[in-house]
Order: sequence, then structure tokens, then C-alpha cells
Amino acid sequence: MMSDLDILRAARINRRRFMVGAAAGLGVAALPGRLLAQAKPTLVTSIRSLSNPYHAVWKEGADAYAKSMGLEHVTLVSEGNSEKGIADIRAMLAKTGGNMVLNSDPNDTPDARPIVEACAKAGAYVVTQWNKPDDLHPANFNPNYVSHIEFDGIASGKTIAEILFKAIGGSGGIIAIGGTISNTAAIERKKGLDQALAANSGIKLLDFQVANWKSTEAFDLTSGLLTRFGDDIKGIWAANDDMGTGALEALRAEGLAGKVPVVGVDGIKAAVDAVRKGEFACTVTSDPYWQGGMGLSIGYHALSKQIDPAKEPPEHREFYGKALLITKDNVEDYYKHNIDSHPTIDWNDIWGRVTGPIRQG
Amino acid sequence: MDIASRLHSLRGSLAGKRRLRGLAPLLVLIVLCILISLANPHFIEVRNLIRVANSAAVPLTLAMGMTFIILLGSIDLSVEGAVSISAMVVVLLAANDLNTHDYGWLAALAAVVASAFMGFVSGVVQTRMRIPSFMATLGTWFIGLGISVYMLGGSAVRLMDQNLRALALTRLFEVPLAVWVAILVFAFAFLIQNYTRLGRHIMAIGGGEDVAELSGIDPSRVRIAAFTLAGIFYGIAGVLSAAQLGQSNAVIGDGRLFASVTAVVVGGTALTGGEGGVVNSLIGVLIVTVLSNGMILLGISPYVQQTVQGLMIIAAVALSLDRSRLKIVK
Repeated sequence: MMSDLDILRAARINRRRFMVGAAAGLGVAALPGRLLAQAKPTLVTSIRSLSNPYHAVWKEGADAYAKSMGLEHVTLVSEGNSEKGIADIRAMLAKTGGNMVLNSDPNDTPDARPIVEACAKAGAYVVTQWNKPDDLHPANFNPNYVSHIEFDGIASGKTIAEILFKAIGGSGGIIAIGGTISNTAAIERKKGLDQALAANSGIKLLDFQVANWKSTEAFDLTSGLLTRFGDDIKGIWAANDDMGTGALEALRAEGLAGKVPVVGVDGIKAAVDAVRKGEFACTVTSDPYWQGGMGLSIGYHALSKQIDPAKEPPEHREFYGKALLITKDNVEDYYKHNIDSHPTIDWNDIWGRVTGPIRQG
Repeated sequence: MDIASRLHSLRGSLAGKRRLRGLAPLLVLIVLCILISLANPHFIEVRNLIRVANSAAVPLTLAMGMTFIILLGSIDLSVEGAVSISAMVVVLLAANDLNTHDYGWLAALAAVVASAFMGFVSGVVQTRMRIPSFMATLGTWFIGLGISVYMLGGSAVRLMDQNLRALALTRLFEVPLAVWVAILVFAFAFLIQNYTRLGRHIMAIGGGEDVAELSGIDPSRVRIAAFTLAGIFYGIAGVLSAAQLGQSNAVIGDGRLFASVTAVVVGGTALTGGEGGVVNSLIGVLIVTVLSNGMILLGISPYVQQTVQGLMIIAAVALSLDRSRLKIVK
């Protein structure tokens, strides 16, 4: 048996050996990194978390694009921590010497500025999605800040509302379930619902409540609303699919699934299945698979000089992407190409889903 | 009146006051039900009461576990991680749309065992490594969440086992099976608290760990047992959640921690330990559930609902806690 002293000594030697070994290893790892940096850029995805289906599919799209290009792809996850998100990106910029393309869904709106500034300073190319301050513009960071992509929440909210209204025959009461009150996407989607309601006088909004994007909360909420309004509820509008499926399960517990149509946003698998079964009237998706791959592709086109961002028109620099509508008419096709297998996307068609410049203000 | 009888009557009124305090949560619940029924008679319809019971099933099961931990004078932050693990295990082992497993009820059993094991780890980490429950369970929370994110690959997996789904969809005497399960869980917790040595020891440690130890109780063993027991309850709640939603994702437990601590405290169990119990928690869960159901029935704007809930929590704690005995408020 070793005495305590022996163990200590062994530990010390081990630690020293470990430190030396680690330093040598890092040196070796850094060296070819620098050398290779000349040749091949690194593709970097920065997202909030992999614990939600949306970002998980985003990563799959990014992986698919990287594979098609034969490039190394790194995914950074901020876990909802802005500082970690930015620090990880800085570390990647240092590691690659700026020879990289970043596709980022910044954790919070203010994060976009330090991310873009760090990339511009290091000479990397960056595409942001969803979140950026109103006064931050890609055109002010030529050529490094290539594009910013969002999806028009007002249009999504309005489109699904109109399909819901049609599904219940143009008249009757509906209930609406919103996302987190202070969230931009939630506010925009509700605005779209309000526009659709204004245009359809036969539809009565019985109540609007929020369930914070969560299935469990939507489940309890819908149970309560079923008590309050009973059979007056002809349809349910949900600001995302997760809440929509929670509402659907509440309907199912009352034997109402399929009788009261539900609509949502995101195109998650459970919702697509529900569209197939006729329990959901429709869902729309921003297509995270496309977002994950195309964000990198747009950045890579700039890095490899296939496009010059400074010469692109404004609607290529800050634009709304095209959301896909999934209804019973196209659901089988969508299911076959997007859920059973991965869609084949032409990654070189970088402006194919531009629907117009982003509204200011 | 002589001094002795004055003292006696003073003590009598103090005891009366304390008894009233003990009844405060129940009074709050009754007043709440009356007020809501006056405003919207739909509330007392049997159909709605069943819905309230259904909404309360998962929170009640969680609160039962949390009660024992708070009685110890500890806190368990691992609720969301444990629910997530349990829901992940049940959905991956029962019939689902991701793999080909189909173990039926064994999957549910495995889920409860997995969650109990997490509780066991929390207990061991605290007692053997001497880490406060707050930090130890914060750790197990994230470990649990991390494992289920990894196993589920970030996606929502659907539960296709019809027997497990029946927990939510089948009714016995008009009441969903999940509610019956919650009632059994409550009875089980009640038995443990009042008729077992573990229950008495938990109470004793919460009242004063040093005294309990001097009287021959081994606090480490009781702690490990209590956290394992809590894990069993969280595991059952995870299975019920997955059955209700017909799916499981890593964040299925989101928000459950806050809700269960709230319910326990609103029911009158003191965060300092040793006071209160599972009956208090039952009332606490009902108060919270009735309140949120009532606010929906009354059509209270979602913009003010959270504020009302916050006021409710403070009011309930103020009413039920004997603050004159708290020397320091921290």
C-alpha cells in the first residue's frame, strides 16, 4: 500500500507530467490549425440550446451543408447565457484566426452587436437570424456582416388564423393562446391574428391567454377555457405548435380532438402528424433545416468571393425568409421529404427564399 | 382572576390562534372557491371540478415529494431534472415514434426507479460530501436535464403506448385515471408521514437536527431515504406528465420546481422545516390550481395573472406562518 506521502508525490509528478503533456498537445493542436486556416475556413453555428426540436433541426441543416462542402463544422451552444455565447464565438475567432463563417441566432437582441463587431475585426463572415437591434445594419459592416434573416411573424399569425377561420366555416368563436407576453415573435403573431380578426367579422375571439410557449401550460389553460366557454369554442389558434399540441391533448381528454381544429407555428413533428390526422388545420414553419444550412452558405459565398456583400441590394442584406405552410393539401408530401428523410435543398440558391426587406421600426 | 388562571386562558388563546393559523390555508381555499363560484357558476360544475383535479394531479404528486424535503428543512431544486429524466425514460422504453422498444408498464417502473436513483444521488452527495441540499440538488437538476437532452436528441418524442396514454384518457367514475393515481400517491405520502419511522424521523430532524441526532436518529440515512422517496414521487409525476401530453421533451418539467415549492409553502409548511405536512400541501396545491383555473374562468387578463399569483403567495404565507415565533427573518 502506498503511504499518503507516496500518493502525494505521485499526484504531483502526474500533475506536472499532465501539464507538460497538455501544453505540448495544445501546441501541436494549434500549429496545424494555423496552417490549415490558410486553406479551409471553419463553419460555425451559434445557437441557444440543443434541448429544443427547433435548434436540433437547425444543427442538422448546418451539418448537412458542411458535409456537402467538405468543411469542418462547429456548433456552439449558449444555453441561454449571452456572455457564454459571445465568449465562445471570440474563442473560435481566435482559434481560426478569423478564417471562419458564423451563422448565429443571438441569444438576445443586444448580443448581435458585439458578435458582429468581433467578427468584422477578425475578418470573419457572419450571418445573424431573428435577433438584432434596430440600429444595427449589415451594410455598416462591409463586407463581413453579410445578412440578417427573420421571418415575418405578422404574416404567420395571419395566415394560420385565416386557415382556421376557413376550417370552422367562417363564423363562430375561437380561443387564442399566445407566447410569452414580452417576446417579439409572440407580439407579432398576435398582431397577425388581430388583423385576420378585423377582416372577418363572423369570427369572435372568446379569449386570448398566454401559455409561455409551453405545452404543459397550454394543456391546463385549454382545460379551463373549455369550462368557461364549452361548446362555443369552434377552433383554437396557438402561437406555436408546442402549445397547440398541449391544447390538442386537452381537447382529446374531452373527446374533442379532430372536432375542434387547432393551428400553430413551427412545423414540429407532432403538429405535422396532427395535420395528417385532421386534428390540426395547419402549421407554418420557418424551416430551421434551411436556416441552419443557408445561413452558413450565404456567409461562405461572401468569404469565397462568389458574392460581394457591398454590392448586394438591401433586400438581400436584411430580409424576411419564406415560411412554409403545411396544410392537409401538402402534408403527405412534406412528411415524406422533411420528416421521413431530410429535404434536398439547393444550398447555392442563396436568395431563393427572400420575400422582402424587413420592416423598419 | 388569579395569575394562574390568567396564564391558562392566555395559553388557551395562543393555542386557539395557532389552530386558526393551521386552518388558514383551508379557509383561503374555501373563500376562494366561494368567490369564484359567485362570479362564475360554471366553476362548481362537476365537469370543471374534474378538470381542476386533473390539472392538480401532476403538481400534487410533485408537492408530496417536495413536502418531505421541506419538512427536513432542506430544499430540492432537482424537480425539473427528475421529471425530465422520468418522462424521457418512460417515453423511450414504451412504444414511441423514435425507437422500437415496447416495454409497457415496465417502462413506467424504470422511469420511477431512474428518478428515485437521482434522489438517492442527491442525498448521498449531500451527506457524504457535505454539500448543502441547495447546491447538491442544483447539480442533479442539470445532470438530469443534460442526460435527457442527450438521450432525446433535443426533439419531442411521442408516447404511443395506449395503456400508458390511458392514464390521461381513460376515466373511472368520470374521473381520469391520473387523478386516481394522484389520490393513491397522496394516501401513500400520508401513511409515510404519520405511520412510519421515516416520517417521524424527518419531522424530528426538521424540528432540530442536533436534538434528533442526540436522541439516536442517523440524519444522513434519513436524508438519503427522504431524497430517494422524493425522487419516487417526481418519477410518478414524470410518467403522468408524459401520459397527459402524449409526448416527452427535455423541458417537460419546465416551471414545475417553482410551482411545487409554491404549493407546499402556500399550504402552510414552513421553509424552516419541521412544521406542516402532506395535508397542508394537498390544500396548497388546490389553492394554486383553483386560483389559476378561477382566473381563466373570470377572464382575468394574462397581463395581471402573474401579479395576482404573487400577491396570493405572500398573503397565504403571511396568514399561515406563525411569524411571532420567527426570531429572525432571512
